[in-house]
Amino acid sequence: MRARKFLKTVPMKLWLLLLAVILFSFFSNDFGLVDIQKTAIILAAGIDKSENGFSVTSQIAVPKGADRSQGGTSSVNITTEGATVSDCITALFGKTGWVPKLVFCDLIILGEDAVKEDAISYLNYFLRNEYMPDNCLLAVCEGKAEELITSTSAIDDASSLAIEKLFSDAAEKSGKVLPNTLKDFAIGYYGVSKSSYLPYVQMSPQKGASAGGDSGGSGSSGGSGGSGAGGSESEEQIYTAEETALFSEGKMVGKLPAEQTLALSLLQGNVFAGTFPAEENGDPVTLTIVRNSGGTNLDMKGAPTATLSADVTCRLCCRGTTAPIEDISSDAVSEAVLEDANKVLTGYLEGLWESFRETGCDLLELKQSLYRSSLKKYREWKDYLLDAVRPVFKVSVKSMK
Amino acid sequence: MNKISERQIYFFLACIAPVGKLVVMPARLAGYCGNDLWLPALFQFLVQAGAIFCVLLLAKRGQSFYSLLAGTFGRVLGKIGILLIGAFLLYAGFLPLLEQKLFVQGVFYDTLPSIVSFAPFFLFAAYLCSKPIASYGRLFDLLAPIAIAGFFGVLLFSAGTADYGAVLPVGASGLRGLAKGGAYSFAWFFDSALLLLLLGKFDYQKGMAWKGAVCYLAGGAAVAFFLVTFYGIFEGTALNQLFAFTKTSKYFSGFTVLGRVDYLFIFLLSLVTAFYTALPLSAAVESALEAFGRRPYLPTLLSIALSALWFLLTYLFDFRFGEAMRAISEQAFWLFPAFTLLLPPLMLLLRKGDPHARA
Repeated sequence: MRARKFLKTVPMKLWLLLLAVILFSFFSNDFGLVDIQKTAIILAAGIDKSENGFSVTSQIAVPKGADRSQGGTSSVNITTEGATVSDCITALFGKTGWVPKLVFCDLIILGEDAVKEDAISYLNYFLRNEYMPDNCLLAVCEGKAEELITSTSAIDDASSLAIEKLFSDAAEKSGKVLPNTLKDFAIGYYGVSKSSYLPYVQMSPQKGASAGGDSGGSGSSGGSGGSGAGGSESEEQIYTAEETALFSEGKMVGKLPAEQTLALSLLQGNVFAGTFPAEENGDPVTLTIVRNSGGTNLDMKGAPTATLSADVTCRLCCRGTTAPIEDISSDAVSEAVLEDANKVLTGYLEGLWESFRETGCDLLELKQSLYRSSLKKYREWKDYLLDAVRPVFKVSVKSMK
Repeated sequence: MNKISERQIYFFLACIAPVGKLVVMPARLAGYCGNDLWLPALFQFLVQAGAIFCVLLLAKRGQSFYSLLAGTFGRVLGKIGILLIGAFLLYAGFLPLLEQKLFVQGVFYDTLPSIVSFAPFFLFAAYLCSKPIASYGRLFDLLAPIAIAGFFGVLLFSAGTADYGAVLPVGASGLRGLAKGGAYSFAWFFDSALLLLLLGKFDYQKGMAWKGAVCYLAGGAAVAFFLVTFYGIFEGTALNQLFAFTKTSKYFSGFTVLGRVDYLFIFLLSLVTAFYTALPLSAAVESALEAFGRRPYLPTLLSIALSALWFLLTYLFDFRFGEAMRAISEQAFWLFPAFTLLLPPLMLLLRKGDPHARA
């Protein structure tokens, strides 16, 4: 009787005991939660080719402690080298004692030397890493990524935060920049077209900025292990990303100028509130795009034809000449301007097509389109499709009524 | 004794069983047959639906799996038979268990935690298995709306970012790819075997066999649509995306304003997978109870023993997930169709025994 009573209460006692074990493990180790004082929260990483293989410059957010007198983000830049990107990231621990944490890394910059080879070898680590957000922004820069990351921004405490501003939704909709993410770059690379793009970031000194000026916050400090970034660290910089780097099979094969970046955005149907120049009787005007749709259509009946279409509705934004108040109060675009705008945009598209043809970069996904519609034709045409296709440009520019 | 109702069986087939296929299977299928990943899944759901139809027909006899075997082959062979299927379910449930462990460690923690972080699952499983398996009926009632809300929530945030044209052209992976996908995905489909252990715990109702099969196919269609969405989002990189249902929704543009509200739905699905992962263990305990007889302390002891065994195996395979997965899903894949597809129709040939037969 007593034994049966004991057995009946065994399960409950066991559960209580096990609950105590869980509570103990929770309060003794916080279930392994990360201590911010021992962790390198990497905001951005710049990757370059180095003699040893790879060089990674990590921009790490550092806690400000009790000093709350200034806003902004404090950061420190550390450069490490290794035979693989993983070695570089791991070397951070050896140099600083901080455990690298990539979960907040929103930006990866590839140096110009890095993209002369297959860029995926520089991104391999990030694609494998489950703790790395694959929707982080990816860009290529002029010169070394280290110089860009360690530069002092004129508009933000951390250079990475200033660069990320270039890739905002608003910037993308303006058609001035074509941001890309790690995930989409990899999809393009591993896809049928084997082509992708990245924004091309350039920096230039801010005119009138004082050397080593304080940008408002506690700012960023130079890398402990880095080779330094020369004058760029002491001079405030501004960044642009209006050009777009073209990639074929992982290598950078060319660049789109700002006009062709806009043209590609128009084909993607992304543009809202972007502007472009036109002329009216030789006088300059600027038009604002208020609605855009676009696309590419591949027709394989007879001679292969690719139709690049961009429909744009716009309004008059600005004239470069004096105008009466009646004209200023009107958004309507005259027929002459519409005609010129059509020519301008068609010219952009023609330039874009020429860039693709010269570089072999299939950003219009013609190969993919053929692959999806007919595997047989794809196998027949895949090696010379871009050369064989005849482009047709259909641009429609309408005025906002 | 409480019985599982007809509705609860349908809930299990349509809502709960399909969720178990959304963790690692999508990435594996993408690896085997690329953009055709949804075809092997659809094939598996079709053949499983046939097996489920047979199991539900067996339910007409009102007998448990053991009494069906014992009625034809005698008690000893009946006991061996039920222990065998229990052992099979313990084996079949090991892959979802490892998936669940990796999933918890990979998604809920941002650095690789020790196995201790996953240990509470075994306590949960031991508790669940100590309860009669018929109590799953009420769980199915509770879990079905959770699974539906979780699934459609995740899909709502995912569908807009998918390029559905990515699954074209159909059949691009060729016969070899499709055959590989079909054969190596058997390991995720053992629902008919689970249902065999529930025989005798529910009463057959008119039309239940075809209704159950249709419910399972409806769940299968939902999974196939999810797979198409999954491939539409990740395309050629899909095979690199473990824990599929936690990955597809995060690209929704509204999250910059809303925050990651999709985690709510991911947590809902995670809850369902936790119960689904423990179900084979419950079925194994049930099979042992059928074989050894029900004594007051036996369910608790068996639950603790089998959970401890699973914990030990999980510890042993802590860093050998790939090896375990290849062994279960690729090298020994044939075990699954033997127990889940062949056994149910063969059991229809058994002669009707005593519905109240016990060990």
